[in-house]
Amino acid sequence: MKHVNDDPRFLRGAPVRQQILSDVASYVAKAGRVGRLVSIMIGDTPEVAVYIRGQARAADQVGLPFDQQVWPGDITQDECKRRIQAMNDDSDVLGIILQRPVPAHINVRSLQSAIHPLKDVEGMNPASVGNIIYNDVALAPCTAAAAVELIRATGLPMEGLEVVMIGHSEIVGKPAAMMLMAEGATVTVCHHMTRSVAMHSRRADVVVVAVGKAHLVGADMIKPGAAVIDIGINQTEDGIVGDVETDAVKEIAGWVTPVPGGVGPVTVAILMRNAIVAHQRQMAAGWLD
Amino acid sequence: MSAAVIDGKAFAANVRGQIAEHVQRLKDENGITPGLAVILVGEDPASEVYVAAKHKQTVEVGMASFEHKLPADVPEAELFALIDQLNADPTVHGILCQFPVPDHLNERDVVARIDPAKDVDGLSVVNAGLLASGEQGLVSCTPLGCLMLLRDQLGNMSGKEAVVIGRSNLFGKPMGQLLLKENCTVTIAHSRTADLPEVSRRADILVAAVGRAEMVKGDWIKPGATVIDVGITRIPHPDKPGKTKLLGDVDYAEATQVAAAVTPVPGGVGPMTIACLLANTLTACCRAHGLTEPAGLTA
Repeated sequence: MKHVNDDPRFLRGAPVRQQILSDVASYVAKAGRVGRLVSIMIGDTPEVAVYIRGQARAADQVGLPFDQQVWPGDITQDECKRRIQAMNDDSDVLGIILQRPVPAHINVRSLQSAIHPLKDVEGMNPASVGNIIYNDVALAPCTAAAAVELIRATGLPMEGLEVVMIGHSEIVGKPAAMMLMAEGATVTVCHHMTRSVAMHSRRADVVVVAVGKAHLVGADMIKPGAAVIDIGINQTEDGIVGDVETDAVKEIAGWVTPVPGGVGPVTVAILMRNAIVAHQRQMAAGWLD
Repeated sequence: MSAAVIDGKAFAANVRGQIAEHVQRLKDENGITPGLAVILVGEDPASEVYVAAKHKQTVEVGMASFEHKLPADVPEAELFALIDQLNADPTVHGILCQFPVPDHLNERDVVARIDPAKDVDGLSVVNAGLLASGEQGLVSCTPLGCLMLLRDQLGNMSGKEAVVIGRSNLFGKPMGQLLLKENCTVTIAHSRTADLPEVSRRADILVAAVGRAEMVKGDWIKPGATVIDVGITRIPHPDKPGKTKLLGDVDYAEATQVAAAVTPVPGGVGPMTIACLLANTLTACCRAHGLTEPAGLTA
């Protein structure tokens, strides 16, 4: 995509990411030793490698030790759980990232629940999700929090903002809806059973799309001047695209996040921010000196 | 046009009847009696009335009822020790602490102490998270009661426009999640919503839970909508000096002219709450023993 860098209608992730990472870096510099982030990959899943590299790079940038562990593909569920519990008790482990996918014999949900909420930097434990429902939104799932940060970056006041969320996944749509609601937005959640998504999206000040279907949102679905946050990542013949017809929507919308270069870069920065939130909470809980 | 009245009192009695039958079967076939423990701290008269009502209905459906009354100045450690003991007690399948508790106790900490599998009020963060994650947990009683009424009234809700007014942790948010689970398109509106009447008028299913008497007028309601009124405001009775009267969030007289069905206040959602508490206790008991859960009594 051309001109992503100079067209002001593109809501780019890079500046938001930079700001978050630099805030995290100064926190880490001040805090001294904060423990390490542990990334767990179970079995050999090459498609995960690119994400892990991105996380490692961000961790390096903010000065957080990043421990990349690869566990054998035939490891048992019990052994995974035992290792995670040992990390829960290890004060040198600041946070735990469980990379997905995992081998078929591993129950990922039960492992996510085994990660202590104070070390759950991905915000996946049911208790972490519950905290978001209860307006305690500091440790949120990274993609949902990234969407919220990008909306904030537009400068639109959250109170009374009409937000339409297309897609109601557990990791993105629902937590983002709760977080925006906590800030005063009126949120409507649409999905595959919604009678007319366009009827909703056309009245929205902000449209957040997280479905995973290329070309899903066209210009006719957007109110002039709205902000469009595109969380979709779709591999197509034309390369990686989001769920939004970006070029057409850009002519109508006030802001649209590019794919790639929009939500993605912010997501990793949020992971780092979650790590320092985890640090603050572990300190407050008396786990650390 | 005059709306159908959704009779929560009769429906709740029916739910309790189903629970009683199931409890009898559990006793006969498995030798298990579901048990509900209620903790009351202090002597708040309203709480005592609620606790007495819960006790009465628990016994009526054939469950064991365990009441624990603690003095208002009970130290937190002592309350927690009781909760720990109930968590470990296999004859107790549901535990609830009647709120409000005295100021020296923190409600969220109290709920967090209860084993999520026995948290039959469905108030713990873990149960809130399980609901939001689409996983099996216990759903708080009032939203569950509204869901049961809606299912009975509408059957399949897939694709319907649902608007919940009120974003409270205890009601609005779980209600929104439950309606999403039914495949409704859900808007949670609240005090900061720019145009509340306009948003409300979109709704095929309108659920009001803000606690402002008769706020929802007839022209806020889409013709043919189903309206669930969760609000309760007590006002001095207009005709009987010294008496009080309960009002909902919906202007009932106006709503009945527009809606297809409306819950009255009182007698609509209110009676469902204890019925759902018993339903949750039964569900928790079945899960604890690895038995099939009763149909239609959970989300």
